[in-house]
Amino acid sequence: MRSNRAGWALLTPTLVILAIVGFLPFLYVLYVSFFDWNPFSNQLGMKWTGVDNFRRLVFDGAFLDSLWRTGLFAFTTVTIELALGFLLAQTLVKSFPGRTVFRTIYVLPLVMAPIAVGATWRLLTIPGFGPIPYFLDKWFDIDFRLATFADQAFLTVIAMDVWHWTPFVTLTLLAGLTAMPKEPLEQAQVDGANRWQVFRYLTIPMMMPVLLTVIFIRLMDALRIVDEVFMLTSGGPGTATQFIGIHIYRVIVPKTDYGYGSAMSLMVLYFTIVLCWLLFIALAQVGKQRE
Amino acid sequence: MFKHKMTVMFSVLVLLSMVLSACTVAAPAPQPAAPAAESGEASWWRTASQAAGCEGVTIRGVSESTPPSRYAADVLAASFEAETGIKVELEATSWDEMYTKAINDMQAGTGIYDFVYIEQDIIYQYLANDYLTNLTQLLADNPELASPDFDFAKFTSFIDNFKDADGNIYGVPMEAFLKVYLYRLDLFNDPAIQEAFKAQYGYDLAPATTHQQYQDIADFFTQYGKDNDMELWGTTVQGNTGHASSFYEFFESIAPTFGVYNWGINQDNWKASVENGGEMNSDAAKEALAFWVGLLADAPPEATASTWDEVAASFAAGRAAQGWVYGENAAWIATDPERSKVVGNVGVALPPIAEGVMADAESGAGYIGYYDGGAFGLPVSSQNPLCTLLWMQYVGQESVQADWAIAGSRIVMESTYDDPKVQEVDAKVDGYYTLMRESGPLFRGAPPFPFHSALREVVQPFIWKALSGELTPAEALDQAAAAADAELVNLGYGQ
Repeated sequence: MRSNRAGWALLTPTLVILAIVGFLPFLYVLYVSFFDWNPFSNQLGMKWTGVDNFRRLVFDGAFLDSLWRTGLFAFTTVTIELALGFLLAQTLVKSFPGRTVFRTIYVLPLVMAPIAVGATWRLLTIPGFGPIPYFLDKWFDIDFRLATFADQAFLTVIAMDVWHWTPFVTLTLLAGLTAMPKEPLEQAQVDGANRWQVFRYLTIPMMMPVLLTVIFIRLMDALRIVDEVFMLTSGGPGTATQFIGIHIYRVIVPKTDYGYGSAMSLMVLYFTIVLCWLLFIALAQVGKQRE
Repeated sequence: MFKHKMTVMFSVLVLLSMVLSACTVAAPAPQPAAPAAESGEASWWRTASQAAGCEGVTIRGVSESTPPSRYAADVLAASFEAETGIKVELEATSWDEMYTKAINDMQAGTGIYDFVYIEQDIIYQYLANDYLTNLTQLLADNPELASPDFDFAKFTSFIDNFKDADGNIYGVPMEAFLKVYLYRLDLFNDPAIQEAFKAQYGYDLAPATTHQQYQDIADFFTQYGKDNDMELWGTTVQGNTGHASSFYEFFESIAPTFGVYNWGINQDNWKASVENGGEMNSDAAKEALAFWVGLLADAPPEATASTWDEVAASFAAGRAAQGWVYGENAAWIATDPERSKVVGNVGVALPPIAEGVMADAESGAGYIGYYDGGAFGLPVSSQNPLCTLLWMQYVGQESVQADWAIAGSRIVMESTYDDPKVQEVDAKVDGYYTLMRESGPLFRGAPPFPFHSALREVVQPFIWKALSGELTPAEALDQAAAAADAELVNLGYGQ
């Protein structure tokens, strides 16, 4: 009984802070989402519109496009990061000369702030001055202009995210591989299993909780990406890299459409929660199977 | 052992930080000379500051990081503090951030900023929301704080942009300039180039007066750059495909030269599309967009990533033979050898225009380009309105205008044109100030739309898509006009 009370006492400051900085703003956004509120419209003040803002979302091509684009981006980056990360983790788990040095250099992008990553890539890719367009032109005769060609912009944003976050995936998976019991693997080899069979039937299932956790973290991050992309392309060319976070920013900040922007934020939050929930279910299933 | 290692590491960190700090403060940037103040003036400012209880007070402002704003932050703020004891902290930041910060502050009424930069095009939004203090009234209510050296009547007619319907003033103009046609004198005056141009096009090389001439010159110099292995292109284009600057270049500088004014919006019924009486997707507008997008073929590769700053930088780097460039950059491009490779080689002219546009401009029915500028406004949420009133009068004195005009290519008072220092620089900038004085009335600022940024946000993606080739100019404007019509209804206009 006493330990319960002590636990709650210790939790209280955190809960109070969470309520103030998390729950109250959420309630306010929920409240605003039911209003038509743009301070620069002909009608000053807030006007109750019920669920109109949410209904508008369903028919809003720009919103749906940015949502689709974000999903595509998140799926692509997480898949590539997972594949590369696993490969590198498998490599790094073994001992080879220069492993420590490589590991140190390799994790450097991880410590960079997203805005600095965006700035770095912007400098690397700026047409006329950046080394990437210069060498692509010189060696492969490729006209690389990020602000002109939509495909190039989208692929560059993916490359930037992979560069930034694959080390995180690698480190997490490396921790999982290191902590994995060796006996089942050795037993399988003794029983004549080849490397692929060991990987497919032992390593992957045993790593599944770690893999799902990594997917969970990276997916959430990828879905809410803003700063790196905003720094690199500002969402352009056109709307080619205007992911949902940038779209919401544009609706709420320069366009000052607070009601609609709030509804948009809530809808994205809803999608994110659904995705989290699905991943949690998957994690729970894996847990049960292991038991 | 561990403790020893920690101590060593900590010592190294401290040493490093000391070295870095030393490097940081070792060489303060040289500042331009502060405007001299007469002893009488100084005592008036000090007395007024004491009377208002402002000595030792800090006032804060936010502005776009432009040459005029940086001069105000670096030079005028220091001299004002010396004369009044009031410290001015002026944040000169990016255009987007400035608006976000200023609007958030005024809307929430937090009072972080005592003065904000009000661009000519945003004033109507601010007035509609009662964000700003009526300066005419504030001065009338506090006659003891009215400086003898400050007079609204001394400003050019640009100050009219900051008045309400009753003539009350809400901003002290601090910058005003034209978006002009800059060209390279060294290239245009080269006899060999002139000869080659005439042989190819059949007329003399001179600053373009028509769009076809502009196109010819752009084509010619792009080819000239290729033939001579030079980093030279025919024109600048402010064609950023993810920033509002491209929207502005098209609607405020290019479209008017084709006779499409006020963003193509019919102000009688608040409609943009031709079907509803607007002009945003008219044939003239489509021709204008096709012309401008076509110029990308003659522009440096950075054009689709260029805002106003990069356009000025490209021209200063000698990478373009001609271009529409914001006049606030004209002086430094023409005179500052540390930042510009084309010092002494900058020509200034009126932009090329379509038939009938000059007649429209002279009659007041239209305009040939963009007259940009801004003022310092005093938010009603300011915590120090009287101290800020002193600052605003200080920057609005005649005596500080000439040096400011030279540093920022801006002029807000008629008398500044006659200042010998300005006239000396005028000669080096191919008569930019004279052109601004004589032809300024042919240019105009943004239309008085209270929904300025909301509508821009809706229309600009279509311009970006036209620039990136995702849409044809005609498709882009048709879709933009339809979206603008719908948004105007959303905003309560054109029901």
